[in-house]
Amino acid sequence: MEDQIEEMELKPVNVRRTFTLRSNVARQVAVNFMPSRQLPYGTLRLRRTTSENNVLLESSGDETDKQAEIIVREMEQHQRLMEDNPVSEELRREALRDLPQGLTMKRNVRAKLSASVSLRSKHRPINMFKRLKYRISFAWKKARDRISDLIFSIELWYEAIRHVEGHFGSAVGSYFHFLRWLFALDLVLAVLVISFVVVPQALHDQHRNRTGSMGFLDFVSGKGGFEDSLLFYGHYHDGDIVTTGPLTYNMPFAYFFTMLCLYFLFFALLCYRTAYSYRRNFIEIAGGLSNVFASKVFCGWDFGITSQQAAALNASSIYNEFKELLSEQNKNQVTKSFWTKFWQCLVNIVVTAFVLGLIISLEYGLWQLLSSETDLSRWEIYVSSIVTFVLAVCPILFHLIVRLEFYKPRTGFYVTLARTGLLDIGTLTLLLVYWARSGSECWETSMGQEAYRLVILDALLSLFLIPLVEFARSFIFKMNPSDSPPEFNIAYNSLTLIYNQAVLWYGMLFSPLLTVVVTFKFFLLFYVKRECALRACQPARKVWRAAQTQTVLYMLVTLSLFTTLFTIGSLFVRGSSQHCGPFRGYEAVYSVVSEGVLQLARRRTLAQVLAFLTRPGVIAFLLLSLCVAVYYMRAKARAQRSMVGILRRMLVLQSKDKDFLLAAIDKVSNGEWLYSPKPEDQGADSHTWKYLQEVRKPSNAGYHFDPTRLNHSMIERPRSYAKDIRPNSYHMERRKSSEDGETDSSFSWQGSGNCLNKENDAEVGKWL
Amino acid sequence: MGNKVVTFTEQQLEDYQDCTFFTRKEILRVFKRFRDVNPDLVPKRMTENQAHTIAVPVEEIEKLPELKENPFKRRICQVFSHDGSGNLTFEDFLDMMSVFSEAAPRDIKAWYAFRIYDLDDDMYIGREDLLEATRLLTKGELHQQERDEIVASVLDEADVDGDGKLSFMDFEHVVVRAPDFLSTFHIRV
Repeated sequence: MEDQIEEMELKPVNVRRTFTLRSNVARQVAVNFMPSRQLPYGTLRLRRTTSENNVLLESSGDETDKQAEIIVREMEQHQRLMEDNPVSEELRREALRDLPQGLTMKRNVRAKLSASVSLRSKHRPINMFKRLKYRISFAWKKARDRISDLIFSIELWYEAIRHVEGHFGSAVGSYFHFLRWLFALDLVLAVLVISFVVVPQALHDQHRNRTGSMGFLDFVSGKGGFEDSLLFYGHYHDGDIVTTGPLTYNMPFAYFFTMLCLYFLFFALLCYRTAYSYRRNFIEIAGGLSNVFASKVFCGWDFGITSQQAAALNASSIYNEFKELLSEQNKNQVTKSFWTKFWQCLVNIVVTAFVLGLIISLEYGLWQLLSSETDLSRWEIYVSSIVTFVLAVCPILFHLIVRLEFYKPRTGFYVTLARTGLLDIGTLTLLLVYWARSGSECWETSMGQEAYRLVILDALLSLFLIPLVEFARSFIFKMNPSDSPPEFNIAYNSLTLIYNQAVLWYGMLFSPLLTVVVTFKFFLLFYVKRECALRACQPARKVWRAAQTQTVLYMLVTLSLFTTLFTIGSLFVRGSSQHCGPFRGYEAVYSVVSEGVLQLARRRTLAQVLAFLTRPGVIAFLLLSLCVAVYYMRAKARAQRSMVGILRRMLVLQSKDKDFLLAAIDKVSNGEWLYSPKPEDQGADSHTWKYLQEVRKPSNAGYHFDPTRLNHSMIERPRSYAKDIRPNSYHMERRKSSEDGETDSSFSWQGSGNCLNKENDAEVGKWL
Repeated sequence: MGNKVVTFTEQQLEDYQDCTFFTRKEILRVFKRFRDVNPDLVPKRMTENQAHTIAVPVEEIEKLPELKENPFKRRICQVFSHDGSGNLTFEDFLDMMSVFSEAAPRDIKAWYAFRIYDLDDDMYIGREDLLEATRLLTKGELHQQERDEIVASVLDEADVDGDGKLSFMDFEHVVVRAPDFLSTFHIRV
């Protein structure tokens, strides 16, 4: 490092820049050996500084090898990384991937690393148990890789989504992604339901003949010939299904356990997905929302755009947003008075109350509608169409209402989503409760029929009517170009998807084949929406926060499933109908488990234990401990959040410290430090010498500085620049001040060491 | 049994899988896109060292649909190329697609985003870099004065250590916490 710096000083100024960079490298190398950099990290991620090292040095064939050597040497210092087992291999792989180097370099490093690892492992014998464990985890890892490869190779609609994303940007792409995810989910559901529930029933049905009419209206309403078919709950057998072989298949068990497992499995999957999405898009970005300009510059351009039109739109939207931000900044920020805030709050509350009232009255109206006795044939189709129509129109209504309120645009959007979600889930719950309490002969089948009708009518709406409206709108726009071209309404379409999924959750138990219907509907919906988007819509002008909205959508789907589970659970505890369905023989549905599987009637002790566990006291205790656990986690989260804030501030200060210290290191190594003993000023009467010998004696431990021992005190009057020097006789106490400002008279380090001082006053400024 | 041309050896594919965020199928897809740029230059077999020797010139890479409309396309190619000129070998291209893929973590993307926005390659995003970036983003629509104001605001918000330019730490501090960063800094191959 020394020779680099000396070399540097001899070169002319125009080459200084490269050498400044080299000294940065030197600094970083020094930094890398600081104690804080030597700790093994939990994640074993290499620091960016290594790459800074390597980027700044020239790269040629020889140099790349050297750089690879440097990296490998640094990685070798981490003990956990260098063992010869699958865990370390995975850690090595992660460390390699996180290395911000080119791929060629990484391959080099990988080769060297494996060589080094295999060299080390020869010295370490592993015992039999560990070897077995490693082999199992290794095989498991390989299997998992192969499965994920297989899943990714199915890649349905990959090119289509990419095409849409290129034209519209990543926000619309995320909608299609969400659609595809729901489609995959429902496909798996459908396959499982069919194989475990429908196929055995179909086998049992082989010998029965179909009765009843099967007209088109029957198809829509689910009545008539369709009522007692595989479509609905009522049809399913309640005993064992015997086939020609020796095996019997117990239908009630199959139905119960399949549905139970599917519901809980998908609930777990959705919770996991939502939590992952929430963590990535909300928690990790906490605290970054105030950097509007910086975010706009660095994250404004959507790198996925491939069409010229979308690029022009992106550029103009960024331009508009910059102008908006600038004008907001230049405007005087009027702080809102208390009364304004109060008024806005009041308005918000009033409108929210109004919307809630609207929702409740809609539900009430629905209830009245359902209970009214009419003789109109196909009454149920009318009811279902009214429900579908209302649920399709309300989101638009809510979107308009929220403009009356005083929310920020983002909050307003979330509020609309929440209200629409409430309406949807409320309506479905109401329907379920109505049918359960209606006392009709086979209420489950009726509920299944209701769900089926809702899906079919909504399919009519979203597959035919709405695309027609959109095409008409774009046609009108083409004829009469106005200011606002039709855009692809992501929010509305996502809400449609969530509504359909919620209907599926509610209806799946009562109509197993509903999964197939909804899956098929989503399949068609993809193509219809894609055509709509490409032909009838323009890319949105305002850029969207797609990732956060995705999280909210996942949350809504999870919430709808949760509500379903809750409602169905509480209903089925009361009992299912005795005349139809696979649970005919049991007084309550859960007795499938208690009587059928566990056979509690015969096992007294087990029955007693379970009876104890389901007492209200025990359940209340469990709930209470759950609440305590939640409170504890929340307190921990808050504490950690404030810790994060503190650490961030510390980071900022540390970086300033680091810069200061490194600049000081540079100065020391540069010989600029005043007290470096250079031969010229080691004269016996020089003040430096005296200082070194008397004040800063080696024996003066702790560097106790005794100013009284100096000839000249540190507290000195400022150097006089007076041209005339007053005769000594007038000022006895005044010291001789040297004229050239040599630092003999002061021990401050503004004037630095001798030989460098003359030429390098400018350079000193550069080093600081 | 047809004559199936083996594009990569097993060892190469494993290497690529370990060093990038791609699966096997995605690597082959990336190769197909790379070859489509210039089928004459890029051979079908890359089993020897063609993967890091044969370089497609930067003018042709910029014609790729993914990069065509990007205002920073030249700089992206320069950052990911092995010699800084912009001509990409297959391994450079794979690296580029891997960083832009969905599986790449935030800080890798932040590092490469920093290098891309650092147009004069001095390890700092200075005023000139920011001015040029705003000009490219809006396709030259803003006035000089507006651009100055924007750059001043950006430095105001993001420059933590107060040296008038953004170091990697400042940049990372801003970008890792931006909600949109992961979804905009993403190219689907």
